[in-house]
Amino acid sequence: MSPHAAPHVELRRVTKRYGAFTAISDLSLTVDKGSFTALLGPSGCGKSTLLRMIAGLEPITAGQCFINGAEVTDVDPAKRRIAMVFQSYALYPHMTVRQNIAFSLSIAGASRKEQDARTQEVARILQLEDYLDRRPAELSGGQRQRVAIGRALVRKPEVFLFDEPLSNLDAKLRVQMRLELAKLHAALHSTMIYVTHDQTEAMTLADKIVVLDRGRVAQIGSPLELYNRPANKFVAAFIGSPSMNFFRVGLTAVEEKTASVALPGGRTARVGLGAPPAFAEATVDLGVRPEHLSLVDTHDAEAALSGRIGIVENLGNLTLLYVDTPAGQLIVEGPGDVGSKKGDLVGLKFSAANARLFGADGATL
Amino acid sequence: MTGAVAVADAPLSAASRLMRLRRIDLIGALVTLATLLGAVVWAFPLYWGLVTTFKPETEIVQPGVQLWPRDFTFENYANVLTQTKIGLWYLNSLITSGAVTIIVVAMAASAGYAISQLQFPGRRFFWAMILASFMVPIPALIVNHFVLMSQFGWVNTLQGVVAPQLIAPVTVIIYKQFFDQMPKDFREAAKMDGANEFQLLFRIYLPMNWGVTTALAIITFIAAWNLFLWPFLAVSSEEKLNVAVGITQVHDAFGVQYGRDLAVAMLAALPVAVVYLLFQRRVTQAIMLSAGIKG
Amino acid sequence: MLKSKRAEYFAAAVLMAPFVVIYAVLFVYPTIKMVELSFTNAPLIGPGRWVGIDNYWRLATERLFPTALWNTIYFVILSALPSTLLALFVALGVNRLKGWTQSVVLAAFFLPYILPVSVVFRIWDWMFDHDFGIAQYLIAPLNGGQRLSVFRTVPLFMPMVALVTIWWLMGFNVLLFIAGLRNISTEIYEAARLDGATRWAQFKRITWPLIWPVTVLVLTIQLILQFKIFDQVYLFTQGGYRVDTTMVMVQYIYRQAFQLNKGGLAASASVVLFVLIAVMSVLQYQLLRVRAQR
Ligand SMILES: Nc1ncnc2c1ncn2[C@@H]1O[C@H](COP(=O)(O)OP(=O)(O)O)[C@@H](O)[C@H]1O
Ligand SMILES: [Mg+2]
Repeated sequence: MSPHAAPHVELRRVTKRYGAFTAISDLSLTVDKGSFTALLGPSGCGKSTLLRMIAGLEPITAGQCFINGAEVTDVDPAKRRIAMVFQSYALYPHMTVRQNIAFSLSIAGASRKEQDARTQEVARILQLEDYLDRRPAELSGGQRQRVAIGRALVRKPEVFLFDEPLSNLDAKLRVQMRLELAKLHAALHSTMIYVTHDQTEAMTLADKIVVLDRGRVAQIGSPLELYNRPANKFVAAFIGSPSMNFFRVGLTAVEEKTASVALPGGRTARVGLGAPPAFAEATVDLGVRPEHLSLVDTHDAEAALSGRIGIVENLGNLTLLYVDTPAGQLIVEGPGDVGSKKGDLVGLKFSAANARLFGADGATL
Repeated sequence: MTGAVAVADAPLSAASRLMRLRRIDLIGALVTLATLLGAVVWAFPLYWGLVTTFKPETEIVQPGVQLWPRDFTFENYANVLTQTKIGLWYLNSLITSGAVTIIVVAMAASAGYAISQLQFPGRRFFWAMILASFMVPIPALIVNHFVLMSQFGWVNTLQGVVAPQLIAPVTVIIYKQFFDQMPKDFREAAKMDGANEFQLLFRIYLPMNWGVTTALAIITFIAAWNLFLWPFLAVSSEEKLNVAVGITQVHDAFGVQYGRDLAVAMLAALPVAVVYLLFQRRVTQAIMLSAGIKG
Repeated sequence: MLKSKRAEYFAAAVLMAPFVVIYAVLFVYPTIKMVELSFTNAPLIGPGRWVGIDNYWRLATERLFPTALWNTIYFVILSALPSTLLALFVALGVNRLKGWTQSVVLAAFFLPYILPVSVVFRIWDWMFDHDFGIAQYLIAPLNGGQRLSVFRTVPLFMPMVALVTIWWLMGFNVLLFIAGLRNISTEIYEAARLDGATRWAQFKRITWPLIWPVTVLVLTIQLILQFKIFDQVYLFTQGGYRVDTTMVMVQYIYRQAFQLNKGGLAASASVVLFVLIAVMSVLQYQLLRVRAQR
């Protein structure tokens, strides 16, 4: 995120209602020029709605949308100098790849020569030259995906919008296309806004991630910020796989940067605080990621919790252990050659820096 | 049924099942035979009419059943082509049916598109009107269609034959249904590409529903070609008749001549028969669609 | 937003215009005029005097219209029901066939449907011709060895026209039934056969419950269609003698308007036909809706 870049796309206090249902409420957002911004959130949280409002496909109930500093709230989609890649690709089945790519140019009344030249150029970038005279039905999933991108590319838009573009591909192809998209962004330096429910895609591609929760921004930040300093329990739970472990603890003492908590099972632990909480809460949620829990002997002084291993999932390079503790079942990520097995009694430890406390409203303390 | 019982019963039940299978196959074979026989009976009148046209008149009126002409001849057709105005009637039928087809399909596609895809005041009203007109028997309107055509001065003209045939609510309904089913993404992608509503219709929606258009065009054409009552009323001079009505006039003009009467009928049926045989699948599809069964 | 709304209205106006004009001029206006005309004593072309419900009174009291109504209903009964049932049997038979045999057989049953009515008339007029018709070989033995002009024998006229109509239009019904039968998966039959269901049981338990909605649909389509009967009846009574006894409703309208120049009376008969068919169509529409909701 370059500090000097002016916002390229900006949403100001935008609300979208479908009848009585509020899909997006009072949301503000800036997207920097040349950035790759991901809109991330679970299905139904309003990602597509937000993207479609930027595209101009969905009328905005209240609020404003700016592109390049000019208000476009009521401007036609075709006049916003943006292009969109649809989840379904929406390739016109009755047109060849060439016609699909050139469609917007032909609508705009470009000359045959210009259409051909620009289609060729796009085809070269996307390695589609050999498929130009095929119909979409004769292409593989990855090729269709590239045609969809080509159709956006040919218009030389200032902003690219992607709505879950990889979700129709199989796992292997998805990784490959992800890399190609990253390369494309590096080559074009265009602004890209990318909707996904897949945190891996968002984390690997984006330099800024907007996490949405039921039509509101849960947090905006770089991938690592979201991982290391989640602003609330929702983001903490959503980012990271397997998901963060949460359990109830009692707050016993609060200092400048740390707090003491009483854990289920009787032991106490120290946990880092972002800032001292303004009020003292008796019980809070403690969150710790599976990869930040490690196995120790039950009698070890550092063991915060102890329990019995319920299930062992060995994934080769790492092992997931489901440990039944007084705090409930916790997931622990261990190395691939972890020595423990089902039924073992183990202690769990974590460091103060790697644990988070969440208040009753879900905000990180 | 337990295993033990099944084993004990095995020889008997196998035998009885075989018997039943045989009986069933016999029934099945009889049904198939009856069906094939039925098809022959059904096709026979058409065959008999056709084969008669290749017999000389003297052979036609001889007693006995002659399934193939003893004296194969084209003279009936030659007579019809030279002595009747069938060429002109063909032309009239071609012009009126072609015009009806083009206008109906264009109008129905446009209206179907607007009602399916656009929001505008009166949309629901027009849709209700189309559904209502679906229930109206056109033959009940012949009197006032005639009055209207005479007010236009269109009685005994080709445009007068065409006009009342343009009410085709089913075609609009079918187009609307098909456009309704188009995924929204195509529309939005094209909008982002800068297409307006007309470009959307003519470059995306219609080409993507080419099959429906062909099917609807074919049966609209066949129906217009075959129409009897209205052209019969609207046309008074032999020069403006269509084929379907025209061939009933031959009789009046020349008296009974079986071969010639049938030959002219076969010529009238030829184009629709050819169209049907060429586009069987489309005709079938269109019929299903207009009956409300998705093909 | 405002601008794109205006563009949308403009597009809608342009696209709807041909439809609206055609429907207003050729459908709405004539329909209103028809009702208006039915309350006057106007000739076919020209003005008339308002006579209230006189025309409707005449329809009810004079002998010809009730005869025409009855003949129409008689014809509908003779044609709609048999052609529906026959088509079901034919479809069941055709559905057993495979590949090209099925195509050929289906074409044999369907081809008559696409013929112009006048061609159908010519073919059957020739088949039943009094002097040389091939059908006389079947008719004569039944008629005590005498040839019989079936279309000139009043009690036979309607049944014979119905027969010709069934031959002409049954293919349409067969097509709809076959579409219905194809929607029944063969697995259901295989499961039933493994359960030892007899052929009759299979039909009663599987085929019929799934096919009866189609049967009802076909029957209502036929009822509405056959109610508009004119062409065949007119063609087979060509020559104009003894038309009255076999007259049907549309023929009555034709006679009053175009032969006797009684526009008002013809319009009132049209209104009656209009209402009868509209009622049947509403019933059919409801039926379709019920079907669609399943
Ligand atoms: N046209 C619409 N009418 C009513 N509700 C809608 C419409 N489009 C989306 N929604 C609702 O808005 C919410 C957000 O939808 P969407 O933006 O598609 O979610 P996602 O994050 O999965 O892309 C969902 O609950 C959805 O049901
Ligand atoms: Mg979505």
